[in-house]
Amino acid sequence: MQVLRRALLLLALCAYTSFAAGPFVWAAMLSLRTTTEIHRNHFALPAPAHWAKFSEAWFNSNYGVYFANSTQIVVSAVLILTIAGSMAAHCLARYRFRFNRVIYFILFSTIIFPPQITIISLFQILVQYGLYNSKIGLTLVYVAIQLPLTIYILESFFARIPSDLFDAARIDGYSDWEIFWRVSLPIALPAVSTTVILNFILLWNEFLYAVVLITEEANRTLPLGIQRFIGDTQEDVGMIATGLMIAIIPVVVVYVFFSERLIQGMTAGAVK
Amino acid sequence: MAVVTLDKLTKVYDRGHAPAADSVSLEIRHGEFMVLLGPSGCGKTTTLRMVAGLEAISSGTLSIDGRVVNQVPAKDRDIAMVFQSYALYPHMSVADNLAFGLRRRSVPRPEIKRRVEAVAGTLGLSGLLDRKPHALSGGQRQRVALGRAIVRDPKVFLFDEPLSNLDAALRVSTRGEIGKLHRRLGATMIYVTHDQVEAMTLGQRICIMNGGKVVQVGAPLEVYKRPTNTFVAAFLGNPPMNLLPATATGTSDGLAIRFGETTVVLPAQRVPRLAAGSSVTFGIRPESISEGRRNGAAYASLEAEVVQVEPLGAETIIAARVPGVERDVMARIGADRNVAVGAKCTFSLDLSAVHVFDASGIALAPRA
Repeated sequence: MQVLRRALLLLALCAYTSFAAGPFVWAAMLSLRTTTEIHRNHFALPAPAHWAKFSEAWFNSNYGVYFANSTQIVVSAVLILTIAGSMAAHCLARYRFRFNRVIYFILFSTIIFPPQITIISLFQILVQYGLYNSKIGLTLVYVAIQLPLTIYILESFFARIPSDLFDAARIDGYSDWEIFWRVSLPIALPAVSTTVILNFILLWNEFLYAVVLITEEANRTLPLGIQRFIGDTQEDVGMIATGLMIAIIPVVVVYVFFSERLIQGMTAGAVK
Repeated sequence: MAVVTLDKLTKVYDRGHAPAADSVSLEIRHGEFMVLLGPSGCGKTTTLRMVAGLEAISSGTLSIDGRVVNQVPAKDRDIAMVFQSYALYPHMSVADNLAFGLRRRSVPRPEIKRRVEAVAGTLGLSGLLDRKPHALSGGQRQRVALGRAIVRDPKVFLFDEPLSNLDAALRVSTRGEIGKLHRRLGATMIYVTHDQVEAMTLGQRICIMNGGKVVQVGAPLEVYKRPTNTFVAAFLGNPPMNLLPATATGTSDGLAIRFGETTVVLPAQRVPRLAAGSSVTFGIRPESISEGRRNGAAYASLEAEVVQVEPLGAETIIAARVPGVERDVMARIGADRNVAVGAKCTFSLDLSAVHVFDASGIALAPRA
């Protein structure tokens, strides 16, 4: 009975792993094959493996610039989101002040607007302030669209930190500013990591705001770069897959680095 | 060591609502162990937090060693506090928890190390310095919390129900450790609890609070033996004092108290100034009631039916119904006495331990 249960569990795990990792492995195989080879057989192994496609995409298709732009914009946005979001969440969770819940509600209510509603206004604002078609402009938009969700996730975590810890730190001689950096933030690290990884993945793959707010080649991000291989009449599937792999690798690296903390953040409070 | 003076300290959270602490006046002497005791919501923790500087004072004056500290932030009051939840920083090791307050005060590193090791040695934490709080037992966490207060060498120690989260056995041993700590350090300590055993065993004086006000302050046995009102009488003791609605009646010898069908003639030294016919509350502690008839003027007899017997090993608690009295009378008798439920017994009341309270519940002083 024990063996049967174990076998069933293993089978279920194998099935789920295939389901989850299958598309990734397939895209990885496609990235090493040419479009002609792919059209001949969609699922064949990459033999021979065309590693040169990566250097071709990087140097000839401007992927190096897209990658650098994406990195600059997303890392800056995630950094601002993490610092501003955790500070705001700490204040909303920790301090009792007038209109605390009203501010929280207004912040959170912006989540309900779909991007299609806000994008026209954002376009107008960026043009007005001379930020249209700039990396700073897109960074600020990314911060604005992700801040409510970041605060929402962090606020609920900060609210669970016992107030006795803040009182103990105050008696120990620390100011509110120091308490945030030395007590609150380190304790909330699992939740902060969760928001870092969620924001990074969402913004790294973001397409809609980028395609509307960036038109210059020099400021394009990776998702826009992948679009270059999609023509009106035909698609360079092989190069799209190579571009996708270049885009996916940083996400995988970030996930591997933060995954343990992400799980801690998501399960915080589930087990006493 | 320090003198802490609370002068009409008041805390109002919401206008229009009753104050959480209402004109609390109290002086805690040099090196004294003062316990603030009372039920939940009586204002004892609010008072302690005002002393700590964690709550703003609505009105009144707080002084430490004669210096008014109402506007002085918590960090500059030279106090240390032990919290009910221990409040250990979960992301720091035991050593870092102990050193956290010293680092902020720019104490040199070698001195921090020396003090942390000394305190850890005293509290038996030397082998645990590298552990995080989640890897410690409840008792060890409590000792780290104590250590964090001791290592600072403050003028005043504040304790906010520090034993509440411990199991019964650990509570007794940690209580003993806190008592030893006070004797060793000789520091001024203010200790908040709702547990009367902690208050009686640890406190040099007890301040009993109710509804935000100080009800009585005194040495443990003093407040136990001479409660100033029915609240204190009922709050201290387990089982608490028997409080029976009664009427004062005049006799040729002085004053008698009648409850139900029983009349107790009070000895001359216990007779308070009271007009015959007044409504009073008659109080007597369970240990002042013994089973069986005792002769002499120092005792009064009480006929009652036993309705419940609780043998506790060292003693037996009895609940008995007195004719004409709604509330059962509790008696604490020796474990060797054999009393059955339903038996009609004669009990003796020790009249030297009788209390009489007026209609508003205030203790009436015996006639001088």
